[in-house]
Amino acid sequence: MKKILALALALCLVFALAAVAAADWAPDGPVSMIVAYKAGNGTDNTARILAKYAEKYIGQTIVIDNVDGGSGSIGWSKLADSDPDGMTIGFINLPNFNSTIVKELGTYTTANFTPICNHVTETSIIVVRADDDRFNTLEDLVAYCKENMTKASTNGPQASNHIGAQAFANSAGFEYIDIPQGNTADELLWLRGGDADWCVVKVADIASMMTEVKVLAAFATEPLKEEGFEDVPLLKDLGYYPDWLGSSRMIAAPAGVSQEVVDFYANAFKQAMEDPEYLEASASFTTDYKDPEASAALFAQQQEFTESLSEGFWPDIDY
Amino acid sequence: MLDTLSLMGAGFLNALSPINLLMMAAGVAMGIVIGCMPGLSAAMGVALMLPMTFTMKAETGLIVLGAIYCGAIFGGSISAILIHTPGTPASAATAIEGYQMTLQGKAGKALFTACYSSFWGGLLSCISLYFFSPLLAKLTLKFMSAEYFWLSLFGLTIIAGVSSKSVIKGLMSGALGLLLSTVGLDPISGVKRFMPTSYFAEGINTTCALIGLFSMSQVFILAEKKIKERARATKFSDKMSLTREERRTIRPTIIRSWIIGNLIGILPGAGASIACFLGYNTSKQFSKHKELFGNGSIEGVAGSEAANNAVTGGSLIPTLTLGIPGESVTAVLMGGLIIQGLTPGPELFGKYAPMTYTFFAGFVLVQFFMLGIGLLGCRGFAQISRLSDAILIPCVTVLCFVGSYAIHKNIMDIVVMLSFGVLGYLMRKFDLNTAAVVLALILGPIGEKGLRNALRGSQGDFRVLFSSVVCWVLIILCVIGILSPIFMNRLEKKAEKEAISGTGEDLEKLTEEDSV
Repeated sequence: MKKILALALALCLVFALAAVAAADWAPDGPVSMIVAYKAGNGTDNTARILAKYAEKYIGQTIVIDNVDGGSGSIGWSKLADSDPDGMTIGFINLPNFNSTIVKELGTYTTANFTPICNHVTETSIIVVRADDDRFNTLEDLVAYCKENMTKASTNGPQASNHIGAQAFANSAGFEYIDIPQGNTADELLWLRGGDADWCVVKVADIASMMTEVKVLAAFATEPLKEEGFEDVPLLKDLGYYPDWLGSSRMIAAPAGVSQEVVDFYANAFKQAMEDPEYLEASASFTTDYKDPEASAALFAQQQEFTESLSEGFWPDIDY
Repeated sequence: MLDTLSLMGAGFLNALSPINLLMMAAGVAMGIVIGCMPGLSAAMGVALMLPMTFTMKAETGLIVLGAIYCGAIFGGSISAILIHTPGTPASAATAIEGYQMTLQGKAGKALFTACYSSFWGGLLSCISLYFFSPLLAKLTLKFMSAEYFWLSLFGLTIIAGVSSKSVIKGLMSGALGLLLSTVGLDPISGVKRFMPTSYFAEGINTTCALIGLFSMSQVFILAEKKIKERARATKFSDKMSLTREERRTIRPTIIRSWIIGNLIGILPGAGASIACFLGYNTSKQFSKHKELFGNGSIEGVAGSEAANNAVTGGSLIPTLTLGIPGESVTAVLMGGLIIQGLTPGPELFGKYAPMTYTFFAGFVLVQFFMLGIGLLGCRGFAQISRLSDAILIPCVTVLCFVGSYAIHKNIMDIVVMLSFGVLGYLMRKFDLNTAAVVLALILGPIGEKGLRNALRGSQGDFRVLFSSVVCWVLIILCVIGILSPIFMNRLEKKAEKEAISGTGEDLEKLTEEDSV
């Protein structure tokens, strides 16, 4: 009897240990979340909202660590160099992140990161001034651009909105002059002030000036979901640039983290992004959860896309 | 119009929240402490306190910085009056009459006059802030590449104006700043320029450069001198008040000084230190009691103190609307704005209008705090003004390190701050102008982007630079700017000479204390 009892106990112990080993990984202290931009920036705002509601599902405090500078490369270098123990994760902004690799700003490559899940997606759109009678449809703009040299403001040389403008111009077959500004606010100021004819921005950028600009087309493969943008024509349908273009804010860990860690965070953030309170707090931007596989695919695709840009994408301009 | 009024009202309601009120009181008190310590100027104070505001809400952070600014400009008068050493260069003219009054046992009266005039100067300057900034913000849609090129050139010509001693040295300093401003990614093509590491991709961090050039270099200068005990602040027993008659006497002086200070504030480059002399001199010219000047005239104190505080509201106008700081303090303040993710321009009066009007309302309320804290705390602050350098130097050093590190939590920022500290020390040894370096560092990229974008847009046609009314107005201002040092020098020399003639004091000694 004793032997059987001992055996049973031993078996229980083995099962218990096995269960512990198989149990989901969970962080045992505050989680550090690196944001490669300064506090108050767009990415920082959305990251803080997510962090606030995700703490419940992660079971630990999330400490946002703003490491800005070097066009984001300082923060991403820090993330790449962190221990892959799951205690440090961070936000990666596509395609700006990919640009820093192409421009060799950081010491990292895509191999230094493991994508966890996508958080926010912003689709690029083409806008002109609301009172600009020359352009009522995208066809007007294309026809005009083929006849005349137009000016398009951008948010910086080879930054996301410059990529969008160039992709549109290449697919429609015209040349234009880019007027780089340091940020999207100034990019739109240059359009409204009349020193640019058109420009490419993201959906959320024009929320405060809907009466001043009109949207001609979106870089999307299916109709936009954002309120007021449902009827925006798609570039693909009009016969121009056929793929989705925009920016993504994705959560990633340093390369080398275990699959348990990835699954744990993907699951926790998914629950947070479905939390009713989160949904209420995040009404101003588009939450777009993608599971680890889909996120990794987007991550790789954006890198491939950004690298492909250097070969014949940019016009040969003598600055 | 009604919209603006309701925004103004809402601004006051927001500004009256407990946290904002607390921050106003703290900011003003901190500003007065910084101001009345000889060796610490308003720009240094705001730069050192900047990192504290990162975690605050944008409006609260700006209110704190504004409160330190106003407090410091007033605080300088306390040591000017009591120990004949202006706490900041902006109070140099106050020392003349103020100290005379102290010698006559009327220190309380002098301090009350300084506080009262600073309050009115600051409060009246808010009027222009409220009414001119939205107007100018609407005009910013007229400011495109070509206009920004001329605007930055105008700012750069003012460099010649701030360098009161030698135009050549001012231009040398400006050129150094322009050279340093080319570090980083090219704003048009994205090519790397003079970048040892990717840390410099966004250029040299202006805030770190500023802390180094202004505060760290001051530490080196102070440490080099023999640590000296400052004169003991005179204990004063007379009541801090003015009779109704006396208040009536200084009323026109305050109004005149407000207009002078306000206009000087709006001009980029010319700041409170010039305004106080002009205000003082004007009060003397218009006074009915000229014989009192040099023997402790309350009008003299009022003229100087109302003018330097009137600069504060004025210098915020170009900073918030065009992103061109009016003086070095607002250059730091603009850094605070950008760190909060806000860009100067029409957005501040459109999308972010509630924040902006809360800041404005806070700025108005700050003046009342300055009056209250100034009057109640004068006796206490007077003791701080004679704080030994032995305590001051380590305190400022710690703040320099913490301040520059806190911005990005990057050790490279401390390296940059220290390098600029050494640079600033050497520059001041050779009489070069550190403020010109900072202005050029900020304006360089704006001008470069403007010129190159304008010419690219026109496909190389230079006529684009002369194609609008705004361009021509700015060109004319540039010409005035280039000629202004001659004019300004004469004006300031004249003001100083007239100021000295009464007292026989060597005023150079007062102003050289720190010329930031």
